[in-house]
Order: sequence, then structure tokens, then C-alpha cells
Amino acid sequence: MTLLKPAVGRALGWAALAALVVLALFGLWGAPPDDVQGDAQRLMYLHVPAAWIAYLAFGVTAFSSALWLWPRTRAAVWDRIAGSSAELGVLFTALTLMLGSLWGRPVWGVWWAWDARLVTTAVLLFLYLGYLALRKVPAAPEARAKRCAIAALIAFVDVPLVHFSVSWWRTLHQEATVFDPELKANIHGVMAFTLWWGVLAFTLVYVYLLDRRYRLESLEEDLEQRELEQAIAERVAGAGTPGRGSRKEEVPVG
Amino acid sequence: MSDVGYVVAGWSITAGVLAGYWLWLRRRTRHAERFDRDA
Repeated sequence: MTLLKPAVGRALGWAALAALVVLALFGLWGAPPDDVQGDAQRLMYLHVPAAWIAYLAFGVTAFSSALWLWPRTRAAVWDRIAGSSAELGVLFTALTLMLGSLWGRPVWGVWWAWDARLVTTAVLLFLYLGYLALRKVPAAPEARAKRCAIAALIAFVDVPLVHFSVSWWRTLHQEATVFDPELKANIHGVMAFTLWWGVLAFTLVYVYLLDRRYRLESLEEDLEQRELEQAIAERVAGAGTPGRGSRKEEVPVG
Repeated sequence: MSDVGYVVAGWSITAGVLAGYWLWLRRRTRHAERFDRDA
């Protein structure tokens, strides 16, 4: 009931932890402070990877949802992956907003601005919170998976809006650091290495957590199904026993 | 607050959120596994 073999999952967990430790060493000490922003720029090594992983997570949700909707590939596994990945996407989007706010205060002088990048990212967070709420609405598994898959595909429309908002509109948020619209890198040396390492570390964390979340989703679905079957069996047994809610007993006498 | 203060806050909150989510997952998984075994 996991996506990865247990030994691979455990190894991935340790690799993710080691990668995060190395990221902290480079992000906090190894990389030099920025010429303009000083030490505040060290938040970039978390903020940018968190945003990329949010895109990846919602991309996986949209892709899995499409596979569920396609009749030839329809399987419960895609619905579980979609739900698990969306939860991680929400987690990383919330981290992105929180880190951006902490970075914005010393650099822009404000915690929040009604800027296109910030607003579209906040909308993304609320869209997928709505998606997670929709997954909790009781329904038959097939009906729930279908409505959630459609919602996931609609919500994904906001991802390119978030990404290109800095190019399409005049914003306070800086343009792409790694690749500008001409695909030219604007970061070099130890700073570039640390940023790429951050992306790698967060990717490992994402894959590891997705595997763990998928296992939990599978276990909870199985338990839910078993409880439902047990409740139906008890109801059927109760209906057949006089004195336990059968229609005949409910008719008033006299 | 100095720039270093914002950086320390950001890194600490990130570590806390990731560790907290991992612990929450582990606790709920163990709980579900226990129910699964008992059922």
C-alpha cells in the first residue's frame, strides 16, 4: 500500500534529511550574502524551492486526476495520489507565502502587498484548500473521485497564472531568478549551487512525504470501507430481528 | 528585527512545519495500522 518499496522509502527519508542539513549549511553559512539584499536573501533558498514543489505537487494532482478521468487508465491509485499530492501542495504553498512574507518585510518594507504574484498564489492556496474540503464531503468513492478530479483540473488553471504573473503584469515581486523570459540564468556560483541543492532537497522531501501520505490514504480508505460494510451487515441483521427497528414493530398497537 | 532575525525565523518555521507534518503523518499512520490489525 505504498508507492515505493519500504526499504526505498526509508532510504529516501534519510537522503531527504541529509539533503536538508546540507542545504542549511550552505544556505545559512556557505553562500555569500547578497550585494543588495544582504542576509535577508538567504530566505530565497527555501522560498523558491517551496514554490517549485508547490507547482510540482499540483501538477501531479492534475496529471493523476486526468488519468482517473480517462476511462482506460481509471484506477483508485490515481485518486489517492491526487489527494495526497494536493495536501502537500497546500503545505508548500502555505510555506511559500509565509517565507515570502518574511522576506518581503525587510526588503519591501511590508508583510503583504496586493501584488499579482502574491494574490494569485493566495488564490491557489484557497482553491486547493477547497479541493481538500471537497474530498471530505461524504459520497460514494466513484462520485467523490470524479468531482475531485474535475475540481483539481479547474484549480490547476491558476498555476500558470501564478508563474507568469510577474511577466504579464507590473508587479512588486521580482522576475524569475534562475531563468528569465529569455531562459538566461541570473544567479551564479555558490548561490546557484545552493538554490539548485534546495530544489533537490525539497524534491526528495516531497517524494518521501507523498509516499507516506499515500500509505495513510490507503489505510484510511480501507478502514472506511470496512466500517461501511460492517454497518450495512449490522443493519441487515437488525432488520431481520423482531424488536430491533423492523417496520412491523413500529406500527402503533391499540 | 534585523535581517538575520527574519532569516532565522523563516528557517525555523520551515523546519517546524515539515517536522510537524511528518510527525502528524506518522502518528495517524500508526493509529490506522493499529485499527487495521485489530479489525
